Amino acid sequence: MSDSRAQTAYYESEAALRLVDKELDQLRDGAEAVSRFVTVSLADLPLILERANNQIRAVLSHLRETRQALQSTTFEKLQTTHDKIKEVTSATEDAAINIMDACDRASQIVDELDTIDAAETPDRGKATELRATLRDELFMMMGALQFQDITSQQLAHASSVLVEMETRLADIANLFDSSLATDPPLATLQAGAPDERTYDPNATTRNAEQRQHLADEIFTAVKAPAA
Amino acid sequence: MKFLVVDDSATMRRIVINSLQRIGFNDTVEAGDGQEALAKFDSSVKFVITDWNMPNMTGTEFTKVLRSRDDGRHVPVLMVTARSVKEDILTAMEAGVNNYIVKPFTPQVLKEKIDALLPAAAA
Repeated sequence: MSDSRAQTAYYESEAALRLVDKELDQLRDGAEAVSRFVTVSLADLPLILERANNQIRAVLSHLRETRQALQSTTFEKLQTTHDKIKEVTSATEDAAINIMDACDRASQIVDELDTIDAAETPDRGKATELRATLRDELFMMMGALQFQDITSQQLAHASSVLVEMETRLADIANLFDSSLATDPPLATLQAGAPDERTYDPNATTRNAEQRQHLADEIFTAVKAPAA
Repeated sequence: MKFLVVDDSATMRRIVINSLQRIGFNDTVEAGDGQEALAKFDSSVKFVITDWNMPNMTGTEFTKVLRSRDDGRHVPVLMVTARSVKEDILTAMEAGVNNYIVKPFTPQVLKEKIDALLPAAAA
């Protein structure tokens, strides 16, 4: 279910709750009037009760819809967040393994260089070649660290979803207790939410080649601005 | 040739700058967002490499402002970003980006894109 539908259901429920509140006030006023003026006819009471009953039924219906909407959107968002966090774990592990593999290869190259140095007639050509390979390995390790930028964007997105959920729950709680609207911890939480300009919700370490290919195709198909 | 490298991630700035040094470009200046990049940009900068998602001013906003300046109208701008859906790529193009690299990238891709834009940078 979409966010907008959930939000509409939520606002409708809020409006319905306010109507019920008004009806109950009227009912209470009516009861007070009855107690003050015994002469007031009790004939209106069934009508008032029926009206209140209808309002309560309407509210229950809205609350059911709201619950379903919130359940659906919350589940979708939390599932996405869960997937993102799993991807962070996976990307971190992949990068760590790539770097460890490169460390192993670099270590072997250093051993080979030691062997060349220890030889009576060191093969300088081979040593030069190995040093170039060693530089490539070190450079590859640095490239593998790109995961840090992407995973930080994924975590920022996950954090923003949690803040959004917290805000939504606080809005619901506020319907029943308006003093929560000025709750300092909630304000602090919202203020600390990640700036949405600083991350891409779809950031991923996966399929980089395919995604680069798409960018290249677009830049080739649509004439890029001349530099 | 002086490169301006713009990214809010210090790790990424270092990776890009090291990649540039590896292919022979040692003159670099760096910035953490679009605003800082605008402050550091002058006619001595011949090539810009920018991220998209940054605080204060994004890469596309920075590129648009750059394109409105006399000294930034023709400088090659290469965007290096995690954003890779079609709409984003088109938006970057409309902002005035000359080419686009998707993160995570390989040094070969960076070299290819820079090589393709070098004639414009040298002009």
